[in-house]
Order: sequence, then structure tokens, then C-alpha cells
Amino acid sequence: MRIAVCLSRLPDPKTVEVDPITGEIDASRTLYVLNPADAAALEIALELRAPGDRVTALTVGSEAADSVLRDALAVGADDVLRVWEEDRATTRPLVTSLLLATALRTEGLPDLVVCGARTLAGGSGKVPALIAENLGWPAVTDVLELSLHAARVHFQRRLGRGGRSEGEVTLPAVLAVQADAARLRYATLPGIMRAERAAIPVRHLPDLGLSPLDLNFPSPTFRTPMPPYARPREVFIPDSHLPPHERAAQITSAGIAKRSGKVVEGAPEELADAIVAFLAEQGFLDRSA
Amino acid sequence: MTTSKTSEHFDVIVVGAGPAGSAAALVTARAGLKVLLIERGEYPGAKNVSGAVLYGSAILHQLIPNWWEQAPVERHVTRRELALLSPTTSVSLDFQSVAPSYVDPPFNGFTVLRPKFDRWFAAQAEAAGAFVLNATVVDDVLREKGQIVGVRTRREAGDIRGDVVIACDGVNSWLARKVGLQRQLRTHELALGVKEVIGLDESVIRERFHLDGSAGVAREYIGAVTGSVHGGAFLYTNRNSLSLGVISQLSSLVEQKQRAYELLEAFKAHPSVAPLVRGGTLREYSAHLIPEAGYSMIPKLFTHGMMVAGDAAGLCLSTGIYIEGINYAIQSGRAAGDAAIAACERREFSRDTLSKYLDLLRKRHVAGDFHAYRHAPAFVNSERLQNLYPELAARGSEALFRVDGNRKRKLLPLGWRTMREVGGRPHQVLKDIYHAGRAYLW
Repeated sequence: MRIAVCLSRLPDPKTVEVDPITGEIDASRTLYVLNPADAAALEIALELRAPGDRVTALTVGSEAADSVLRDALAVGADDVLRVWEEDRATTRPLVTSLLLATALRTEGLPDLVVCGARTLAGGSGKVPALIAENLGWPAVTDVLELSLHAARVHFQRRLGRGGRSEGEVTLPAVLAVQADAARLRYATLPGIMRAERAAIPVRHLPDLGLSPLDLNFPSPTFRTPMPPYARPREVFIPDSHLPPHERAAQITSAGIAKRSGKVVEGAPEELADAIVAFLAEQGFLDRSA
Repeated sequence: MTTSKTSEHFDVIVVGAGPAGSAAALVTARAGLKVLLIERGEYPGAKNVSGAVLYGSAILHQLIPNWWEQAPVERHVTRRELALLSPTTSVSLDFQSVAPSYVDPPFNGFTVLRPKFDRWFAAQAEAAGAFVLNATVVDDVLREKGQIVGVRTRREAGDIRGDVVIACDGVNSWLARKVGLQRQLRTHELALGVKEVIGLDESVIRERFHLDGSAGVAREYIGAVTGSVHGGAFLYTNRNSLSLGVISQLSSLVEQKQRAYELLEAFKAHPSVAPLVRGGTLREYSAHLIPEAGYSMIPKLFTHGMMVAGDAAGLCLSTGIYIEGINYAIQSGRAAGDAAIAACERREFSRDTLSKYLDLLRKRHVAGDFHAYRHAPAFVNSERLQNLYPELAARGSEALFRVDGNRKRKLLPLGWRTMREVGGRPHQVLKDIYHAGRAYLW
């Protein structure tokens, strides 16, 4: 089996010092580390590895990002790969995931992709889901525990308010694990030495068959859909055809009628259409957009 | 995964990436040797604490020309102040100079923030070719037939072999004691420094301390600031922060049942200090042991295959006038590195070959400085100098400058009266004058 782990390098929040007067970050103090959730993902991948399996660590970033790949090599990853488009400072989740998915495809698709659920930097948690979308694989987010049974992964997910859910997914799949799912092992000394001297293979856009245009996604635009005043509320008027005592009852109960939500059921496409229609109706969406 | 013993072999293994370790790694790596620099912290400087003023900029200038242009330095020190404090009064000696040796390159000293500076210095060693291994603890040395042939780190398959081990692992040097070069340190030889870095706006610092541009001030305090505990305090200006702290002798902290952080709070609240730190925000809080006893606690500096440098060798000169450590750390690290280079050239790592280290320390005035001031640490930490004389100076000055319509006494009777008031005895004073002379004058 081949397992791919996606890693990211980010500034250690403990070392980010903002000058209270200028608002600038004191860069000379900042340390860069492996994202904690990615470290957990790496550990899980190493634990899943059976004899004969290979664990490949990938990252998107400039040469500085080699450090997280060296960390991965030091603890025992078999292969590493860095993907980068020169002249770029950062990548948005959409671009990161496209680069990772394309790299996975060109290097030979693995059986399982393990990612950290979210970074400490952006923290959107979009990348794993977008990789899965790119590959057309199922994605499981916020994974706390997992075990492998033949070609199926049994997992436990973290839900809100301390809830858990369990389930199974058939490989290939993308799993996004939470930072506290596992603790990365200590590197051995020979491991560190080997990692420090290893050459880190890099793939640029042409190697992946991509052009810079492929990475030009329209940037998101934000608009304020509604002026911030309260919407007019309909005044309750009793039905004039009813007898007086019923009208009186209606008036006295006015305003305490249960609020009702609308539950829509159906195929995912229909549900999505229903949500879009609702948002447009309420003025949150510009239909022309 | 490989579980066999590592086959790595280095020419020089330096333990500890402080100023001593980085200097040793730098010179040996420049000589083309295969060098390993092992650091316990997440990065070099993560666990390193001192005041910190780096005096002797010229020493580092010899290793890295114009180092201050690339290193993260804060301010160059043009002003020094030594203050005697009583609870209400401060009497100080203020030295300020715009002489070329203080304000022109290579300057005299710089205030630095150690986490930044040490990281930069280790990066210089790394750039020269040394292999820096972070987050790794060294537990022991490897011995073969009385020769030290490497170190054992606290990692899986963690033995590393090397021809020369240079231990720069700080005041509580584990390695120097394991090998039997250093004895168990005594509490009166050690001081506990507790330090805060307080952030202040750059313009506020310039105004409060009357500083121009990147000039800085280093102040040292002695007397009531540490109560009846033996010790002192310091306050240094950084670019946009102050480093201040209290240093207290470990044995007297224990005797007086005092807490070091309370002394620091008292220091910050002292009327002569409070206006200087007002409005600041706490940026860092740290504490460290300081080897204060000087000459008497310097261990055997080398044995077969190993040398000790920096604080591990007790090379911190604390005489009241001088409070220096980083410069001696760099000097000793460099000397140990040079001795290691000579030993590697001859492929001969016995004690006799490494004795070149001591010769170099003598030649570069490290050994001489410590020998010359060998009586000073004990004198500075003596009961009367710590408590009686600051009080005497404060009360005497109070009486001297007070105008209240009473008869003005001349200085000698005034001094005599004040001394009787604070409980000083003439024969003790004579004795102390002799001791002071022995410590500082001849």
C-alpha cells in the first residue's frame, strides 16, 4: 500500500511577536515548524505502514519548506516531494490542493492520503476536502482515530459539543486528522543525519503538466447583501370570516405561534439548488452573480 | 528504519550552542573539519539566558569582521552606571563617553537579546559547515581506554563518535562532572539570576535614558535592592525594550529564606527604578544560574579527547566592576576550537596535545584576567560590602546634601558619625580596605 501525507510549514504561534506600536511582526524571532495536525497525520501514516508499504510526504512551498520534509524523513518517511511554483509567495487552499492532487496523480496515485485537518495559520481546513474533490475520492474530515481493515478504513470523527461519529470508508480516500489524534515520534539520530543530507526532489508546474493559468482562480469577492436594519415584520390580522371568539383567540395568541423552519429532502443537487434559491430569496445572493 | 549504532564520525563534537559552542564550531568548521554542534533547545538560544551585554566586541570582530552589521544587536553601550542603593536613596557612579573606542566600530560592547543573538551566531557556524543538531540532549560521553571518543545523546541509536569533544554545556555542566573535570558546585559559588525583558517604545527609552541613536546604557546596582541577600541587580537598554534582573547568591537566598522573584519585584518598585520601567509591557521572563566564584571554580579544562569552555568552565567574571561572560565564552570556545584544530592536524588527541587550549587561554588573557581578580568575587559577596557600605554611602550622602539649619560637619566627622549609626567598626573598615585593595588594586 502507498500512503501519502500532506505537510505544511508555518510560523510557530508561540514565537510570533507583534510590535504593539507598529503592528509589525518581529521576523527575527519567528520560528517555523511543522503544522501540529500534519505531524499527527504523519504519525498515523507511519503507524499504518506495514512491511512493504511506502509513506510519501508532500508539501507545497518554497525551498524553506524543505525543513518539514526533512522532519518527515528523519522520523522515517520513505519518500518526499516538494511542489512549487516559483515567484509565488503563498498559495490559497484552492491552489495548494490543486498542486497536491496533480502531484499525486503524476507521481502515481497512492491508496490513502492523510492530511492534517487544518493549519494553525489559515485554519480553513479546506485543503483535504479540495484534494478529495480534485481526485474524485471521498474525504473524511476531523478524524480522531482510524484503523485499517483490508481496503476499508474504520474511523471515528469529532463532532461539535464533544460528539463522536463512527464510520467506514473504502480506499482510496482522503483522511483529515486532528492535531490531537497522534503524537509524532522522536527522530532517531541516524534518521536526522540521513534527512539532513538527503536531496529533496522538487516538481514545478511544467513537471506537473500545469500552466500558471491553471492556478488563476477568480478571487473571492465579498459584498454586503443587506443593509443592517431589521426586516419589516408582517402584522398579524385575524381572519374576518371567523366568529368573534375565535378571532379573539387568534389575537391573544398572536406572535407566539411556533417558528417554523423548512426541511427540504432529496438528492444532493436538489438540496444545493434549494439552498441557493433560499439565499437568493432572502437577498443574500445576487442572482446574476 | 536503521537501529544499528550510527556510523557517523566527526572530527569535533561541540555540546551546547551558546557563544562558546558556536565560536568553537565556527573556527573548527572554517578549518575544514567535520563538526557537529549539538543543542538541547529547539533552536540555539532557546534556553540561553544572560543580562545581556556582550562586551569585547573586538573579540568577535576578529572572528566575524563587522559582525554588528549583520547580527541582531540592540544598542552599543556608551554609558555605564554603578549604583549603591538603600531603600530610599541611590548613590551612583555614572560613566559616559563619546570617545572613539566607545562610539566607533568595533565599539566596546552591545546589548543583545540572547535568543536572537545565539541563533544568529550558531547560524554563522552552520554556514561555515558545522552540522547543527537541535532538540537533542547529551547524556554522557563515550570512553575507550581512558580516551573520550564521542557522546551519547538521548535519542534512539544516539551514540556519536568524534575525535574531540568540546563541552560548552553551561554552568551546570553535566559532561564536565561526568568526566571528573568539575566537582559538585557549592551554593555560594552560584548565583540565581532572574530577568525580565520589558517592552517600551524606542523614543521613550531614548528620552528616559538620555540616549542618542543606537547608544545604550548598562546599569548595575548593589545594596538594599536584594535586601539582606547577597547579590545585585542590572538594567540594560535594548532597542525597544529593557533587560533588567536581580542576581542573588544561591547560598544566601537559602539562608535568608527569600524568593528571587520577590527580590525582582522589589527592585522594580525601588524609587530609582520604578520611573524607568513605568508603562512597559512584560515581554520575556527567564532565570538562570551564574557561576560567580571566578578563579576558584574553574575546573580542569581538558582531558584526553575533551575540553570545557564557556560557563561550563566557570568563565564568568563577576567582580562588581566587571560582569562579563559572553566575551570569555567566545574567547574560550575559540581557543578550544584552535586547540582541536591543532590536535586534528597531528591526529593525536591526548591530554598533552589539548593542553594547547590552556596555553591559548593564557595568551589571550582569559586565564590572566581570572587570576588577577581571583579575590574579587568573595569580596563582592561579603556581608559588609553587600549591606553595610551601600547603607553607609546612602546615609552619608543624605546627611551631606541635607540643609536644615544645623551645623555643617566636615566630611571626616560626618563619615565617622554615619558609620557609627549604621553599626560599622573601624577595624573592620580597615580590614575591608585591605581586602578591596587585594581584590582590585594590586
